[in-house]
Amino acid sequence: MLVYKIEDYVKEINRCLQCNFCLATCPVYKEDMVESSVARGRINLINAAMVEKTIPLSDRTRELINRCLLCTSCMQGCPSGIPVDDIIIAARHELFNKFGFGYVEKFVFRQVLNRRSVGTLATRAVSLLKKFNLFPGPVPPLASPPFEQRISGTVSPSGAVRARVAYFTGCGTNFLYPDTGEAVVKVLVENGFEVVIPPDQNCCGIPALAHGDQQAALEAIRGNAEIFASLDVDAVVTDCTSCGYMLKVKAAKVLPPGDPCRSQVSAVAGKVFEVTEYLAGLGLDKTPRPQSTRITYHVPCHRAWSRGLPEAPRNLVALVPGTELVEMRDPQGCCGAGGATFITHPGLSERIRSRKLDDILDTGAEIVMTQCPACRYYLTEGLKEKGGIRVVHPVSILAGSY
Amino acid sequence: MLPISGLLKDLRSLVDRGRVLGDVEDLLAYANDATHRQVIPAAVVIPESPAEVAAVLRYANEHRVPVVPRGAGSSLAGGATPSPGSIVLDLKRMNRIIEVDRKNLTAIVECGVVTQKFQETVESMGLFYPPDPQSMSVCTMGANVATRAGGPRGVKYGTTKDYVLGVEAVLPDGSVINYGGKSVKMSSGYDLARMFTGSEGTLGVITRVMVKLLTLPPCRRTMVAAFPELDPAAEAVSAIIAEGANPSCLEMLSQSSVMLIENYIPLGLPRDVEAFLLIEVDGHPAKVEEDCELITGVCRRHGVKEVRTARTEAEAERIWLARRALFPAVAHMAPNVLIEDATVPRSQVPAMVRAIGLIAQRNQVTIGVSGHVGDGNLHPGIMADKRNPELMERVDRAMAEIAREALRLSGTLSGEHGIGTIKAPFLEWEFGPEGVALMRRIKKAFDPNGIMNPGKIWPGSGGDAGV
Ligand SMILES: Cc1cc2nc3c(=O)[nH]c(=O)nc-3n(C[C@H](O)[C@H](O)[C@H](O)COP(=O)(O)OP(=O)(O)OC[C@H]3O[C@@H](n4cnc5c(N)ncnc54)[C@H](O)[C@@H]3O)c2cc1C
Ligand code: SF4
Ligand code: SF4
Repeated sequence: MLVYKIEDYVKEINRCLQCNFCLATCPVYKEDMVESSVARGRINLINAAMVEKTIPLSDRTRELINRCLLCTSCMQGCPSGIPVDDIIIAARHELFNKFGFGYVEKFVFRQVLNRRSVGTLATRAVSLLKKFNLFPGPVPPLASPPFEQRISGTVSPSGAVRARVAYFTGCGTNFLYPDTGEAVVKVLVENGFEVVIPPDQNCCGIPALAHGDQQAALEAIRGNAEIFASLDVDAVVTDCTSCGYMLKVKAAKVLPPGDPCRSQVSAVAGKVFEVTEYLAGLGLDKTPRPQSTRITYHVPCHRAWSRGLPEAPRNLVALVPGTELVEMRDPQGCCGAGGATFITHPGLSERIRSRKLDDILDTGAEIVMTQCPACRYYLTEGLKEKGGIRVVHPVSILAGSY
Repeated sequence: MLPISGLLKDLRSLVDRGRVLGDVEDLLAYANDATHRQVIPAAVVIPESPAEVAAVLRYANEHRVPVVPRGAGSSLAGGATPSPGSIVLDLKRMNRIIEVDRKNLTAIVECGVVTQKFQETVESMGLFYPPDPQSMSVCTMGANVATRAGGPRGVKYGTTKDYVLGVEAVLPDGSVINYGGKSVKMSSGYDLARMFTGSEGTLGVITRVMVKLLTLPPCRRTMVAAFPELDPAAEAVSAIIAEGANPSCLEMLSQSSVMLIENYIPLGLPRDVEAFLLIEVDGHPAKVEEDCELITGVCRRHGVKEVRTARTEAEAERIWLARRALFPAVAHMAPNVLIEDATVPRSQVPAMVRAIGLIAQRNQVTIGVSGHVGDGNLHPGIMADKRNPELMERVDRAMAEIAREALRLSGTLSGEHGIGTIKAPFLEWEFGPEGVALMRRIKKAFDPNGIMNPGKIWPGSGGDAGV
């Protein structure tokens, strides 16, 4: 039984005040400048096409519903607390039931992300797709070997153990940026934390969920809940703000009522922290060495699940002597990646990104830090021809000082 | 009327095709404003210049197609609700700030400039544009002029109408008029800028506005006063102003409002009182200090239980956070909330608040009262559910009774939202048949074919060119 059904959101849809405040922050609206790209417009469309069924499920409906980054910017200023992302996900599920996935999405979400043990196979398959030009957008190069083949099991600090934490390794770190994973482990261990990295972790499930494949998301969530609930740890940390959003908030919503995994999922959710927030909250044991760099911070969109999230990286780099944090114009403005939107809507994503790149370049920073691997990938690509500004996870900056 | 496909084809010959929308999926996003009633228009056109606006109006005028100007579609009066078969003109792409003139303290903006963006721009230059509709993160300058929008600062600074120096507007025949300028004084001819101010899109399209600016006040102070009873609180409001304190905001929250806020974000406000006054004073530090003392004294004489002045920016921000939290808190109470806008002379606020209580009882509806009491502008929030027709009937009745009561107390139907469609049936109560007849004749002079935003301000306006 699946839970993201549009019928279950009728109440929320009707609660929308129709104030259009969501127009102020939507990165897609900023580019398109038509109201059908605003959350209110999408809600009205979903209501007409899927609830009241006064218009058919057309290609245009599909395009407008898919033309959302699920960035949640609209929700942060919504006076009525409308769960816009859940409503869009439910609508996409409806579309998925009717039209299914395109083969690319199917391949990425079902095969690559949810069967991680075949990582190397996935690498080969992606490069094949790429070779035959079957991938519509830019394809991230996969890391070899993936993180899970680099570090696993338990890594202990040399001195006393402050706390025992499990490390949820998201797909971004595993397949694209094992360096982030290595930095996370290093910084945690140097600060007295024992790190447990369980094998056979799943994707958090958010990409599949975002594109309407709830079944795949559900399988991923159940698998992870079983693994992490069975560990004797004080916290579950993640380096990825979207994985955190999924584990902390969304997973419980995806589970059908009475699901046997429910207690495990909520037990894990209670312990989830984004790694910089965890570190900033408990404080560093080890003083970082000085390094002289000019840093700017791109705040990832999925930040509302934890209050201190946007401040934590700023507070942490402030502890590294010699670093200078230069704020960019709109640190919270979306980079355009939007999960996999940059693959499905490359033109739109590029236009959103170009604003962001200007803001970054204006700071004169050498390093952009951000906690989201999709942002990192997408900004890195955009900055390639702009003087090689590096994009890294904030823990990597700390790791560089140990 | 033209068949739709012909209309779209014609419009696409006037304006770049990408800026003419005709698919129902897109039109749905333009089918309503913040008042919920949906009418799907025939087309949406997104012009980028006054010339394009003129081309569309000329065409529409010739073919008798209704035109509905639209900013952000945040109207609470139904002013931006499309008419059947209409062309909606989405003006948000005309969003340049043309000029900020420091020497003369004026600015010229295109109609689609977002109010908050404009405020931030002038404030970064040490200047000040006071009108502060609470929708300022999205609403547009042209629409603010078209509705005479205002906000909490109205008590000291007035509303948009007090800042308009001039307009550029396109008339239905495609001609462009320019009225007003930088001169502080002007006594030439009819005040056409005033004509467009509050015209709600029924006379033509405002494409540019020239507004007056002030310099940014150097000092700002926030106070909160808790009164055990409502009446003395309301009397304190009149006294504060009568004694010359000149606060920049003077808001009242009823006990039920405060309870709502406390449940939504706890701020530690006392719960055993009937009313709160939120007061802001701004200006030169010495005068601000003096005003704060004067206000504290007035509150004490009116039996205040507690009055405090925020010592830090953060504390002041917390107090205004409470005020802003009211709307979301109210929104959580019912599926829909209709925000009323009746306004009475300041001295009648206590009578109006009592009357609203009785109206709520009589019609068995829940009404939360808050508002800008300093200028008599109340915002009763009526709990509604648009899917419950029986309840909606009672809600409509309550709205009409509130309107009548405000007029009986020498007030007005609307302080800042405009008449739109939802108060159109009441207009005659305020101005009598003669007043409305004159308005009709004025409209006819601007818009002889009645194409501009028909059905707004008075019932059937513009219909079949009856105007
Ligand atoms: C949550 C909420 C809070 C609000 N708070 C306030 C408040 O505190 N104070 C206040 O005054 N209002 C408030 N409003 C109402 C609304 O935001 C204002 O009336 C605002 O001026 C409308 O701006 P808009 O750009 O959304 O215009 P729209 O809603 O699109 O249009 C409003 C009217 O102006 C006409 N119009 C728009 N642009 C032009 C133009 N260029 N030329 C001619 N006619 C035009 C339209 O035809 C329509 O009649 C609030 C609304 C909401 C939803
Ligand atoms: S901001 Fe929220 S309540 Fe307002 S229109 Fe958008 S989704 Fe609806
Ligand atoms: S989630 Fe982001 S892209 Fe989607 S409607 Fe909201 S603000 Fe726009």
